[in-house]
Amino acid sequence: MEKSYVLSKEDFPRFLERLKQFGTVYAPTKVSEQSFAFKAVEREEEIAFEALRTILPPKKFLYPQRETLFSYDESGNITEPEVNQPLVIFGAHPCDLSGMKVLDDIFTAPPGDSLYIERRKHILVVGQSCIPDKYCFCESMGTDSVKDGYDLFLTDIEDHFFVEVATPKAAELFNECDFLIQASEPYKQAFKDFWHNRKDLFSNRFETSNLPALLDLEANHPVWEELGQKCLSCGNCTFVCPTCYCFDIVEIANFNGSGQRGREWDSCQFHGFAKVAGNFNFRPGPVDRLKFWYRHKLHGFQDAYEFPTCVGCGRCTVSCPAEIDDIVGVVVRLEGKDDRKSIYAKEPVL
Amino acid sequence: MSIARLSETNKRSKPIPTISVQSLTGCAGELLVILENLQKMLPYVRIQSFPFAQSKNSDEPVDITFVEGSVSNPHDLEKLRAIRLRSKRVVAVGNCAVWGCVQKGACSRLAVEEMRNQVYGAESKIEVMPASRIEDHVQVDVKLSGCPIDSTQLLAVAASMLKDHLPYVTKKPVCLECKLRENPCILIEQDLPCLGPVTAAGCGALCPSVGAPCYGCWGPSEEAQMDAMANVLMEKGFSLKEILTRLQAFGAPPELFTRLNQLQDQADSN
Repeated sequence: MEKSYVLSKEDFPRFLERLKQFGTVYAPTKVSEQSFAFKAVEREEEIAFEALRTILPPKKFLYPQRETLFSYDESGNITEPEVNQPLVIFGAHPCDLSGMKVLDDIFTAPPGDSLYIERRKHILVVGQSCIPDKYCFCESMGTDSVKDGYDLFLTDIEDHFFVEVATPKAAELFNECDFLIQASEPYKQAFKDFWHNRKDLFSNRFETSNLPALLDLEANHPVWEELGQKCLSCGNCTFVCPTCYCFDIVEIANFNGSGQRGREWDSCQFHGFAKVAGNFNFRPGPVDRLKFWYRHKLHGFQDAYEFPTCVGCGRCTVSCPAEIDDIVGVVVRLEGKDDRKSIYAKEPVL
Repeated sequence: MSIARLSETNKRSKPIPTISVQSLTGCAGELLVILENLQKMLPYVRIQSFPFAQSKNSDEPVDITFVEGSVSNPHDLEKLRAIRLRSKRVVAVGNCAVWGCVQKGACSRLAVEEMRNQVYGAESKIEVMPASRIEDHVQVDVKLSGCPIDSTQLLAVAASMLKDHLPYVTKKPVCLECKLRENPCILIEQDLPCLGPVTAAGCGALCPSVGAPCYGCWGPSEEAQMDAMANVLMEKGFSLKEILTRLQAFGAPPELFTRLNQLQDQADSN
C-alpha cells in the first residue's frame, strides 16, 4: 500500500490546503518561550515545525480533557454527543504515534469506548520526523520509529519532505496532485540516511532487556522513597503522558431534573484516586503513588498487553515541577549504575 | 381517587425547599455570588432568610443554610450554633467558612489580642477570638471553597442537594485545571511561586491562565504536599519564611506545616 513521494518545502502551502479539505488542521504552535501546543492552524507560518514535544500530547484529540458522555432532559430522555468532526493532526512524532497506538489498543478493546472509536474514524494523522533532544529516550523504549499508526509521514530531508502515504484515506485525499512527486533514488537514499544517522543522536538512554524483572527486583529500592518524598502529587506527569488514560466521571444536575454526565482526565497521583468505601486507600502516600506510576508505565502493561506504555517522549521529565520524573535516571539507578547524574543535575535543598 | 391523581396531589402539596443565606466574619463576596445566581434557583427554592438581601427574614427551621465567613468573635459562634440547630443541611461557602481565609492565616502567625489592639486600640471593648473554620464548631454537610466561590459549582451543588444527590466538589489541585487548559507552566518556565500543585481546584486555574502565580485562595487540595512544595520553591531561591507566609496566607491548617515551622524556628534561633 505504502507509496513514497517527495514534497518540496516551497509547495508546503499547497500540501496544507489539501489537508484542510479533510478537516480542521491542528499542528504544533509556539505558546511560550519553551512550550508548544497543538492548535488549529490556517497558514504555514503558524506551524512550529521545530516543536519536539507539545504540552499535551495528541491524545487530547482522541480523548478530550473534558467531554460530555450524555445529557438527559427532565423526562429522562438521553442525548449522546456528536463526535464526527473531521480533523487532521499534523506533526505527530514517532513517540506520539506510538502513544496513540497504545490508546487505540486500550480504548478499542472490547467492549470498546464508543466515543473514542467514533472520534478516531474522523481523524487523519500526519506524522513528522524529529531530531531528539537531551530528554528524548524513545530509542530505549523502541518507539523511535513506527511502521504504522499514521496516514501520512513526513521525513525532513533538507529542502524537501519525504512523504510516505500509508492509508487509502490519505491516498484518496492526495489523489491527482502535482506537488507530490514520485521519490527518486537520491531522495530515497537521503531518507535512509536520515533514519540511520538519527540512531546515534540519542544521549538519554538505558540498556535493559527486562524492565519488568528489574522493577520487581527493586520494588523496595531507596530511590522510590527519595523521589516520593519530593513528589507534589500534582498529577502533571499523567496529564502530559501520551498514554495515561484514567478519567473521573462527574454528574452535573440541573434544578429542573435535567443534567449531564461527563468525564475528565484524572490522575493516579491524586490522593482520592485509590480511595474506596470505608475511607480505605490503596496508595495513601506520594511514595506509593509515584512508584505505582513508574511501574504502570514500565511494567504493568507488560503483563496484560505485552508492551510497556512509556513511549519515551520526555514530557513527564520536562513537566514535573519537583524534577523527579527522570525515567532514564531512575532505571539506571535501579540497575545499580549510579554513575549517571540526574538529568536535572540539581541537589535537593531541604 | 386513582393512584395517578393521588401522586399528582402529593406532588402539588410537597413544600418547596427553603434556603437561608447567613454571614459571619467575611467580605460578603460569597453573598454577592449567591445573589447573582438567585434567579436561577428561585423557581425551585423559597428564600426564608437572607438578611444581606431582604428585610423580611425568619428564624424558622430551614432545609439548607449557606454560611459565609469565619468564626472570629463570640457573636459569630453564637449565631453559627443557632444556624446549625435550625438547618437540615449546612453548606460552608467560601474560603472563610471552609478554611478561615486570610483572618485565620494571620492568626497562624500573629497573636490575636495584639492584632485587635493595633486595629481597634487597647481600650476597645470589641471581643475577638482566633479566626476559625465553621467546621471547628459545628457539623458541616458540604464545603464549597473559593474566594469567591464559582457560580457553576454553587448551582451544581445546590441542584444536587435539592435532588438528594451527593454533591460533587473537587479536591484535586489547580495543576489539573491548568494542564487541561494546556497552559505553559509558570512555576517551571518562569520560576514564579505558583501554588497550583497544593491548592484546591474549582476556579478553572484562573490566575495561572493569565500568567499570575496561584496564591492558594481556594485552600489546600486533598493531602497537599506542603514540604515538597516548599522544597521546589526553595530550589528556586525563595526563603522559607516567605514560602511559609505564602502557603499559610489563606488559612491552611497549621498541622500541614509542622516540619516547615520547626525548620523555620531552628533558623530563627540560630
